[in-house]
Amino acid sequence: MAIINQATKELQVKIVYYGPAMCGKTTNLVQVHDHVQTAAGNKGKLVSLATSSDRTLFFDFLPIEAMSIKGFKTKFQLYTVPGQVIYNTTRQLVLRGVDGIVFVADSQYEKMSENVESFNNLEENLKTLKLNLADIPYVLQYNKRDLPNSAPVEYMEFLLNNRDLQVPSFSGTAHRCEGVFETLNMITRMLLNRFISQGSPQYA
Amino acid sequence: MSTLPQLIEEDIQRLDEELHDFLGKSDATTALIIDQGGFLIASVGDCRQFDTTTIAALASGAYLANQTIANLVHEANFNSVYQQGEKFSMFVLCIDEQCMLVVIFKATVSVGAVKYFALPAARSIANQMGIAAQREPGAGLDLSVLNLADPSEVFKRKG
Repeated sequence: MAIINQATKELQVKIVYYGPAMCGKTTNLVQVHDHVQTAAGNKGKLVSLATSSDRTLFFDFLPIEAMSIKGFKTKFQLYTVPGQVIYNTTRQLVLRGVDGIVFVADSQYEKMSENVESFNNLEENLKTLKLNLADIPYVLQYNKRDLPNSAPVEYMEFLLNNRDLQVPSFSGTAHRCEGVFETLNMITRMLLNRFISQGSPQYA
Repeated sequence: MSTLPQLIEEDIQRLDEELHDFLGKSDATTALIIDQGGFLIASVGDCRQFDTTTIAALASGAYLANQTIANLVHEANFNSVYQQGEKFSMFVLCIDEQCMLVVIFKATVSVGAVKYFALPAARSIANQMGIAAQREPGAGLDLSVLNLADPSEVFKRKG
């Protein structure tokens, strides 16, 4: 999980965007890459290992450096997983060392079963890494809110956030960059607060 | 699952020394220590011409993918990946459960020499990681310096 390097005064954190196929995970990263305000050189290249039809094959990767916090450089590594069902082994690999998760759900009615299936798949894959979703900071993003057939947020909350401990959720229209930064900033805040309150990062 | 130890300055210094020593012996161009999550832990050599952050993420993924393939074909003895190039080649070697050594070297350099010297280097690095692991977790670390007045705007949108 997160690495704190005292010699170089760096904190490195891994955030994984998870969700069903075509829900907008890559779009989130593209929007962050295109719109994030950083000092020169603090934003890395967006690397996409995708098929010729732009479907994520392995993962997308975007390293960005946030502002320095009292001398500590905070480096965030954003990953997406391939959403297609057949790439489950790849999703397990990308989840290794994860610190925080953004679950991107597709708001369209007909995608609800895929959302639930992907969420269950996330929990199962974490278990294979001996991790428990309840122990990992995560947020939900209900994407594609601009589509006419999108389900009410309350319904999506009932399906995906109906737990003992409810997590923050955001409505998003990622291709217009709506909700993208709100989501990213919330998971960042949860992660930093967690590290501070624990006094030491957990490692996987 | 075992954990990556917290590294202090002394550890990084020792790791850098090991990597420098390895580069001197093997004639390789760049050596990185990365973890399985894709993080870059240490780097030595000519790092300016390579995007080491991205290489760390991709090398970790490539190694893990190959390891999984090895498991699928019932190959238990898997600990390295060699990518042969025309200009530069790359060798990734498992250090321990958490870390890998990534070596980038010119295609004219002998891969045999790289592999030969990488093994003892990996053992020394694993040894240093073992020393770090024996320290009290969190020793010397004060995360209160990371406290933020308003972390809600860690990332700001342009315009």
